[in-house]
Amino acid sequence: MSRPRRAVLNVVKSLKHPAQPQLDRPRLFPPPEARTETKTAKAPVEQPSSSRTASALAPDGVFSPTVWASLQLPSPPTLTAFAHRVGLANVLTTPEAVQQIFTHPSFVPYFARYYPEEKTLASNAALSNIGNALLGLFAAEHLHATYPHLPTRVLKAAVSAFVGPTTCANVARSIGAPALLRWRRSHATLKQPAVMLDDALASVSRSLVAVLYRERSISAARAFVNSMFLSRELDLRNLIKFRDPKMALRATVEKFGREPPKSRLLKETGRLSNSPIFVVGIYSGLDKLGEGFGSSLKMAEYRAAEDALHRLYLTRQPPHLLQVPSSTFLASGLDIFRLPEEAEYVPGAIGETEVLYGSAGKSGVRAVSYRSQVPSEVQSEEHDKDGRLLI
Amino acid sequence: MFQAPTRQILRASLTTRGANGASAFIPQCTKIVFEYCDNWSSSDKLRTYLAKHIKAVAESHPHVEFVVKQRPFKQPIARGFYVNGRTKEIGLKKLEITGIQQKIQLLLDSSGAKIKPLKRETIQSTSDAARGIWSGLHVEEPFRI
Repeated sequence: MSRPRRAVLNVVKSLKHPAQPQLDRPRLFPPPEARTETKTAKAPVEQPSSSRTASALAPDGVFSPTVWASLQLPSPPTLTAFAHRVGLANVLTTPEAVQQIFTHPSFVPYFARYYPEEKTLASNAALSNIGNALLGLFAAEHLHATYPHLPTRVLKAAVSAFVGPTTCANVARSIGAPALLRWRRSHATLKQPAVMLDDALASVSRSLVAVLYRERSISAARAFVNSMFLSRELDLRNLIKFRDPKMALRATVEKFGREPPKSRLLKETGRLSNSPIFVVGIYSGLDKLGEGFGSSLKMAEYRAAEDALHRLYLTRQPPHLLQVPSSTFLASGLDIFRLPEEAEYVPGAIGETEVLYGSAGKSGVRAVSYRSQVPSEVQSEEHDKDGRLLI
Repeated sequence: MFQAPTRQILRASLTTRGANGASAFIPQCTKIVFEYCDNWSSSDKLRTYLAKHIKAVAESHPHVEFVVKQRPFKQPIARGFYVNGRTKEIGLKKLEITGIQQKIQLLLDSSGAKIKPLKRETIQSTSDAARGIWSGLHVEEPFRI
């Protein structure tokens, strides 16, 4: 029994005095701020003279651990581990660079109020702004190049879905940002909007894009956005909804100069049972535009019209043929007198504009237009053989 | 024609689904905390592990923060923190060094999700079926009773 005990004691002694890992900031608890201002039953409440005072951290002379905890910055190992986790260890080389990404501007005055002697923290406000602009650029050109015929409102909604505030916050959550984020909640005032957790988290992912753009190049920023934002899943069919898809299809087919759509029952089963299935196809002449199923004839026809419109609006450029305009921007550090050998940029086809029917596009307000002022002989309009206006 | 009721879409609330690993893979383990005791003999193996083996593991996993914490007069544990906000605690009381290594590897490999029995339920996927879904109405000769 004695031998194992001696071995244990040796191990314990060696571990108690091994070469200690060097800590940059030894973390003591309770912190110095608490020890000088701790109120006891016997001692009277003192007003210390140093600037790091109870009046800042302890308004009633009592130390508040929650306030103290919210003021502590993440340690350098945490920040370095984050840089490795997102694969940007070569870009975010110092913990200070990572700290800036996680410091929301709402935190800076809060920190300065309690630690006025410390250096003012660098916030991610400017980075977040640049990153937001870059995200909008990359998402808009990527979606427009991928879906050239997408209606404008749907394109705007899709851009919001891919790089909007909710998605930016979710991307930040997926990389482990909530533990490192330093921010301060505030309600909406007359001068400033509210700051909620999603806003603070969104600033983190936007700042990452901006840091890549600043430290590397626009191509590196675009590759990051493609892998972290634009490869996420979204069903665009839920964003293209029609009040009356049959009417919309009729107007669309008319615009393309084809025969009016005619729906035909392709297959049916169980018509008189409690669960019938009808498969309806919508044809323009001999071409089948769309197919839909349903438990009633009307529902099947509705879905067939929707399917036809989806097949038009969601025409997709294959990813391996995709070329975006910002790929023509030169990466930084290149000699502009010697351009790199690269594939020529082929612009995508301009998509067909969406059909406006009903009262869409017409506000009902009569405006004085150029045509009404021009003499009558110029106003004669010429049409080509397809019935389209020649400008 | 039937006019479907429409719902207003608030663009700021639209979002996409992420799939970790589809394009970029984010390792899910963020931090591992070792809690050991200097006095009790149950922490012997862990103390040896911390003295000799942890440095190599930490260097080969730079995305994980390793924290060594003293918890006097308690049994040794390793606690893993994950991106989904959950933690996994593993007691290291009766384990040899190789056992501790295996448990640390388990913590590093885990996603932090709750352990779910996978054999009971059918597979659910958000992507389309690779071979398509068979339809009895889309065959040349439909079945007739």
